[in-house]
Amino acid sequence: MRTQFRLPSLGADMESAILTEWLKKPGEQVRHGEPLATVETTKGLIDLESYDDGQVLEQLVPPGTQVRVGTPLASLEVAGIGGAAQATPGAQAAPVTPGADAAEAPPLDASRPPSGAAAPAAAPHEATATHARISPAARRRAHELNIPLTEVERAAAGGIVRIDDIERLAAAPKPAPTVDARAAMRATIGAAMARAKREIPHYYLGHAVDFGPAREWLTLHNAPLPVQARLIEAVLLTKAVALAAARLPGFNGYFRAGGFEPSTAVHVGAAIALRGGGLVAPALLDADRKDLTTLMREFSALVTRVRAGHLRSGEFTAATITLTSLGADGVDVLYPIINPPQVAIVGAGGVVDRPWVRNDEVVVRPVVTLALAGDHRVTDGRAGAGFLRAVADLLAHPEAL
Amino acid sequence: MAPDDIRTKLLTLLTTIAPDIEPASVDPARDLREQFDFDSMDALHFAAAVSETFKIGIAETDYPQLASLESARRFVAASLARPQAGST
Repeated sequence: MRTQFRLPSLGADMESAILTEWLKKPGEQVRHGEPLATVETTKGLIDLESYDDGQVLEQLVPPGTQVRVGTPLASLEVAGIGGAAQATPGAQAAPVTPGADAAEAPPLDASRPPSGAAAPAAAPHEATATHARISPAARRRAHELNIPLTEVERAAAGGIVRIDDIERLAAAPKPAPTVDARAAMRATIGAAMARAKREIPHYYLGHAVDFGPAREWLTLHNAPLPVQARLIEAVLLTKAVALAAARLPGFNGYFRAGGFEPSTAVHVGAAIALRGGGLVAPALLDADRKDLTTLMREFSALVTRVRAGHLRSGEFTAATITLTSLGADGVDVLYPIINPPQVAIVGAGGVVDRPWVRNDEVVVRPVVTLALAGDHRVTDGRAGAGFLRAVADLLAHPEAL
Repeated sequence: MAPDDIRTKLLTLLTTIAPDIEPASVDPARDLREQFDFDSMDALHFAAAVSETFKIGIAETDYPQLASLESARRFVAASLARPQAGST
């Protein structure tokens, strides 16, 4: 059957992206999970992966075009029922109407996404709240002039935006691109975190953990290995968090449409700071089921892609829980903010030498303080405490990770 | 190998593992972590690239010597000068 491949929402507050390159030509076959096109977003270049096996019939958008979330990018001929399940009812006939398109973005079906994970879709009410302040004509004109809506909103400063405001914006001198990219990234993070703080009733718990066993095991494990085969501490933390998330209910999944949707797959978002400022949290897929060496290889490849500014749509949206680690930066505690629609995030402070009581004696141990932010709509502090204790127990037996 | 050759190679390695770093902006004397927010994965990628390129063994306890480009150059020069310096 014929279906349309639309620009998916790659984050709760993404409005649009610029199509930079087609990776498949009309007539070419594409497999489920294979990249079809590359788009540029405020978080860098992202390869859009196909949801289906099939053939590209037509490219609907030329490179260089700014497209809104939900816009059809290509038409595909897909085989089997997988495609039928993906097609949005009425999608072929309905033009993308301003104000509704974010909500119409294809749901990244949890059973058949590119990488086996559900992805957050844009919240419809958010789209409405944003759209109310910009007149439809102004919105259309901004689109024609390729002015990002984030910029329009900034200029609007809460007022109503009309078409002449857009003309004025288009005529205004543009800031240097790097400054603009950073500001866009900051705006994206700001919007996501404001939503998190507004909607998610966070609770916070902290737990100091003796990191000695993990560190000693790691030293012995790494000693005979060439540098490129060694593990880093963050991988042990990731695995411990993934196993705890798989074992204890209420921390792994999404809160959407008024309810918690637990996920059986555990995809750990790894918060990675960008040198230009800001951060991304792409997912390490099925982190609970991979051995440390595999996890390390994938983590390494992920950081390489982040540094090159080139991620994949699947990993960009797949995370079901997030781990953010300050590593060697040395402060004791990091109180993280949940990345919606997820329901939990773990922050790891720096590993620091601290006095520690063991067998009635004070000894010096490397200590890491873990902080959990949980969603009170799903769990309580008691469950959260169990989660952090589970992570601590796992780190005490690194050989079993 | 001349000090300048090592320096040039190290700068190339650095900007290969971290293409988001502008080569002209690198201060060789400054700590990479402090200068470029190097995280533990960046540090490992750099150590692996140095080890492979110069065919020298690098123990985890040697990592602090790779903190800046200049300290890395001294470390590489010393490793290459050792007669038994072989592959890892």
